[in-house]
Amino acid sequence: MSAFDRRQILKGGAALGLASAAGLEGFARAWAQENQWKPEAGASLKLLRWKRFIPSEDEAFMRLVDAFTKATGVPVTVTSESFDDIQPKASVAANTGQGPDMVWGLYSFPALFPSKCMEVGDVADYLGKKYGGWLPAAEAYGKVKGKWIAIPMAFNGGYINYRISAMNKAGFQKFPEDHAGFLELCRAMKKNNTPAGFALGHATGDANSWIHWALWSHDAYLVDANEKIIINSPETAKALEYVKALYDTFVPGTASWNDSSNNKAFLAGDLYLTGNGISVYAAAKNEKKDIAADMDHGLWPVGKSGKPTEFQLAFPILAYTYTKAPNACKAFMAFALEAQNYNSWLEASQGYLCHPLQAYANNPIWTADPKNKVFGEASSRTLAAGGLAPVSEKVAAVLADFVVVDMFASYCTGREDLKTSIRTAERQAQRIFRSA
Amino acid sequence: MADIALARPAAAAPTTGSAWSRLRTSRGWLGFWFMLPAAAILLLFLAYPLAKGVWLSLTDTRIGRGGSFVGIENYEWLWDDNVFWLSVFNTLVYTGFASVAKFGIGLYLALLLNKRLPFKALIRSIVLIPFVVPTVLSALAFWWIFDSQFSIISWSLRHLGLLDHNIDFLGDPTMARICVTFANIWRGVPFIAITLLAGLQTVSPSLYEAATIDGATPWQNFRHITLPLLTPIIAVVMTFSVLFTFTDFQLIWAMTRGGPVNTTHLMATLSYQRGILSGNLGEGAAIATAMVPFLIFAIGISWFGLQNRKWQTG
Amino acid sequence: MAATTTTADTTPDNSEGMAYLDTLPRRVVTVYLPLFVILVVLLFPFYWMALTAIKPDEQLIDMETYNPFWVVSPTLKHIAKLLFQTNYPLWLWNTMMISVAATVLSLFASVLAAYAIVRIRYRGAVAVGAAIFLAYLVPPSILFIPLATIIQAYGLYDSPFALVLVYPTILIPFSTWLLMGYFKTIPYELEECALIDGASRWQILVKIILPLAVPGLISAGIFSLTLCWNEFIYALTFLSSTQNKTVPVAVVSEFVDGDIYRWGSLMAGALVGSLPLVILYSFFVEHYVSAMTGAVKE
Repeated sequence: MSAFDRRQILKGGAALGLASAAGLEGFARAWAQENQWKPEAGASLKLLRWKRFIPSEDEAFMRLVDAFTKATGVPVTVTSESFDDIQPKASVAANTGQGPDMVWGLYSFPALFPSKCMEVGDVADYLGKKYGGWLPAAEAYGKVKGKWIAIPMAFNGGYINYRISAMNKAGFQKFPEDHAGFLELCRAMKKNNTPAGFALGHATGDANSWIHWALWSHDAYLVDANEKIIINSPETAKALEYVKALYDTFVPGTASWNDSSNNKAFLAGDLYLTGNGISVYAAAKNEKKDIAADMDHGLWPVGKSGKPTEFQLAFPILAYTYTKAPNACKAFMAFALEAQNYNSWLEASQGYLCHPLQAYANNPIWTADPKNKVFGEASSRTLAAGGLAPVSEKVAAVLADFVVVDMFASYCTGREDLKTSIRTAERQAQRIFRSA
Repeated sequence: MADIALARPAAAAPTTGSAWSRLRTSRGWLGFWFMLPAAAILLLFLAYPLAKGVWLSLTDTRIGRGGSFVGIENYEWLWDDNVFWLSVFNTLVYTGFASVAKFGIGLYLALLLNKRLPFKALIRSIVLIPFVVPTVLSALAFWWIFDSQFSIISWSLRHLGLLDHNIDFLGDPTMARICVTFANIWRGVPFIAITLLAGLQTVSPSLYEAATIDGATPWQNFRHITLPLLTPIIAVVMTFSVLFTFTDFQLIWAMTRGGPVNTTHLMATLSYQRGILSGNLGEGAAIATAMVPFLIFAIGISWFGLQNRKWQTG
Repeated sequence: MAATTTTADTTPDNSEGMAYLDTLPRRVVTVYLPLFVILVVLLFPFYWMALTAIKPDEQLIDMETYNPFWVVSPTLKHIAKLLFQTNYPLWLWNTMMISVAATVLSLFASVLAAYAIVRIRYRGAVAVGAAIFLAYLVPPSILFIPLATIIQAYGLYDSPFALVLVYPTILIPFSTWLLMGYFKTIPYELEECALIDGASRWQILVKIILPLAVPGLISAGIFSLTLCWNEFIYALTFLSSTQNKTVPVAVVSEFVDGDIYRWGSLMAGALVGSLPLVILYSFFVEHYVSAMTGAVKE
C-alpha cells in the first residue's frame, strides 16, 4: 500500500536484501542467457497477486520482478487484490479471456478452470529435478488429473501464537502436543484471565486453517478420496465437541472475527493464544518489542492418527492459455523459484512464506530465529484443500462458502445442536458436490 | 439526428407530407423519439438483465463457463437449504424492524423539524448528512464503533461502571442483528424525515388554525389533518424504504459479511457469496430471483395506497 | 418556481398555529431535547470517523492510557499518506468522473422522457410513466449477477463505461418522476403561445421549459450524484483493477494489509470520500427540500 511502511521495514530488517540486490541482477543476466524459455519478442506481462501481509516480502518480490525485467527485457506489471477478491477476479479473467497473464492466488483456484490454465509440466519438472523434488502437498495443488496447471510457488504456515509468560503461568513449560493437553492449557489460561481465541467468523485464512485442523485431526473429513460425502460421522461429532470445549475458553467475539481481528487483539495484549501466520510476530518485532520477546509459536497438536493433519494456505501461480507470451510466463515462474531468488525472498518474508521444494528446507530463515522454526514445516505438514479428496472446483466452493467453518461456529455459538449442524453441512456439501 | 429533425419549425411539416415528416410531427412518433434514450437504457440494462437473471437461475452456469438448462433444480436445492431460509428470515426481520423504526423516528423527526426552531437550515443540513455520506463509508465507522475489543460503547459503559466486560457486538447473533439494524435505521431516518418534512410543508397552516379554534387537541390535529394529507407521500417513501432495506447489501457486507454464522446474511449478500465468491452464478441468480415475489408484494401494497390519489400521472 | 422556494421557507413557522403559546421549559423537553439527542446520534459516527483519522496509531488501541473520546497530539499522517502515497486521488477522480457522466446522461434522458410523458401525451404515456416508476423499484442486488455476464459479453468488464451505462438505470426513474412533477407546474399557456408562434417541441423544451425547471434539474442532479457516489455492488462486481476503482470499493478493499487493518487510513479515506457530497449538500439543501416539496405537491 504505501512506500512509507516499506521503507520503515527496509531500514530495520532487509539491509541484507538491499545488499544482495546488486548480486541478484548479475545472476539474473547470467540466468537469462541459459534460460530455456526464451521470452517472445516485445512481450510484456501482467501479474495479479494476493495483497501482501508482510511488507518486506512484497519488497523482495518486487526486486525479483525488477531483476527479471532487467535481464530479459520483459516488463511485468504487478497488481494486488485481497484474499477474498482474487478468486472471482481470476475466474472472470478465465471466462472473458482478458485480464492478467498470470495470477498468483490461493488454495486450489486453478482447479476452477483447468482448461484455461497453461500447462506448465516442463517448468515443474525442471524445478523439481533441480531442487530436490516437490513436496506432496505442493504436487497436489499444482496438478489436476495428472497435468501440471500451476506452479505452487509457496505456502503460508499458520500456527499457534502464544504468550510464553501466560503459558507458564497456566502450568505449562512446553507447548502441549496433543488434544487433551491443548484443551487443558486453554482452560487454565481462561482461569488466569489470559484467554485464548481463534477466529470463527468468515476469515479466509485463520478460520479455515484451525477449523480444518480440528476436523482432520479427529480423523473426520467432509468427503473421501472419491468425493463421497462422509461428514456425518461420529468422528465429526467428536471434533465438534472438542472445539465447543475450546470455544468455551475463548475471549468473547470470536464468531465475528475476520483475518485481522486476532492480530489486533493479540498485539493490544487482550489475547494470549491464537492461530495465525507469522504476521503477528513480524508486526510485534516492529511495534511491540515486549510482546515479541514474550511470544512463541507452537505446532498444531497431532491427533490419534499420529500424523500431522494441518491445513495451510497454498499460493499457486498460473498462466492463462490466452496469454500472448507463454514463454515469458514460464520463464518468470522458473526464475522466481531459482535458489538465488527464492532464498532471499523467503528470508525477506520473515517466515511468512514457506517453500514447496525440498531443497529450501535449509534456508537460514528457519534457524535464524528459533521462533520461526515451526513455520518452515508448514508445507510438509499440510494436507491439500480437499483433505482426502483431490483438489477441484468443488473443494474451492466449499472453502468459499465456509461450509466447515459455519458447521463448527453454529454448534459452538449454540445456534444449532450437534446433529443439525452436521446435517446442515452435509446438505451444503451435497449441494456443492451434486454433479460429481 | 432526431434532435435536428425536431429542431425544424413544426409548422413546415404538414405541407411536405412524406413519411419522414409524419415521423417527426405525429404525436406518437414524437413521443417515441423523446422516450428513446431513457427507454434504451432501461430496456438494455434493466429489463433484459431482469429476464436474463430468471433464465440464469434455471441453469447451472458458473463463473468461467457457460451452463446448461437444469429446470428448477437450483430452487429445489434452495427449498430445503437451512442457510437460504435463514437468510430469508433475516431479511424479513431486518426489513420489518428497520422499516417500522425508520418510519416512527422519521415522522417524529419531521414533526420536530416542522416546528419553530432557530438555525433551521443548519439543522436540516446536519440531519441529511447520514443520507449523503456513502453507506459503505459510514458502515465502516459503525464497524469500528462496534469492534469486539476497542468499541467506544463498551469502553464508556465499563468506565461508567455499568459493565465489567466488553459487549460482543458483532459476534453474538442477536447483538449483531441489532447492530446492523441500528446502522440501517441511522442511515435511513434522514431521507424519510426530510421527505416527510417536505410533505408537511404542503399542509396549509389555516387548516390547523381552524381546527384549533374549533377546540381540536394537537393529537386530533395530527390524526385528522396531518396524517390523511401525508398518506400518499408516506406510501411512496415507505415503499422505497422497505424495498431498499429488503435488498440491502452494502451495510451488511461492510460490517459483518453475513456473520456470525450466517445470522446476518441477507438474501442479497448470500446471493453475492454464492454467485460471485463461490462462482455459482446460477444459484446466486436463483436467490436474487427469489426476492422478486416479495418485491412485487411490497409494490402492490404501495399501489393500493396510491389509489386515492393519482400519483404523478394525471 | 421561485414561489415554491419561498413558501417552503416561510410556511413551517406557522404550521402549528398555536406553537408560540408553549412555554420555554415545555419546548425544551418536547422539542429541543429530543432533537438534540437525535442529532448527537446522527453525528456521532462522523465525529468518531474524524477522530480516528487524526489519532496516532498507538492511541487507537490503548484505551487505558488515553481517553478514547479525545486525541492527544493529533496527526495528519493518515490523511497525508492517503493523499500522497496511495491511489486515493485517482479513486476520487474515478468516482467523480463516473458520477458526473452517469448523471449528465440520466438527466438528458429523463428530461426528454418526463417532457414526453407530461406534455406530448402520446398514446400510452400514462402506462409508460407508471412503468418508469416501477423501474425505480428494481434494486441492483437482483440485477448484478445477470448484468455481470452481460457486461462481460460486451467487453466492458473492468471499464468505467460499464458503470456510466448501468448507473442511469438507478437514476432515470427517480429523475423522471421528479421532473414530471416540475413540468406539470409550468402553465400550459406558455407552451400554447409558443406552439402558435411556430416553435417546435424541441425549441419549447430548451427555451421555455428547461429554464423554468432549473431548480428541479439541480435537485435531480444532486440526487443522482449522491446515488452514484454511494453505489457499491455494481462497482464491486464490475471493476477489477486498483486504478479503476471507485472510492467506496477501494476504501473497503485497499486499506487492509493482509490481516492488519489500517484504521487510521480507513477512517481518513471514509471521511475524505464523504466530504465532497457533504459540501455539495450544504449549498443545496434548501433547493433539495423545496424540490421535494414541489414533487410531492399535486
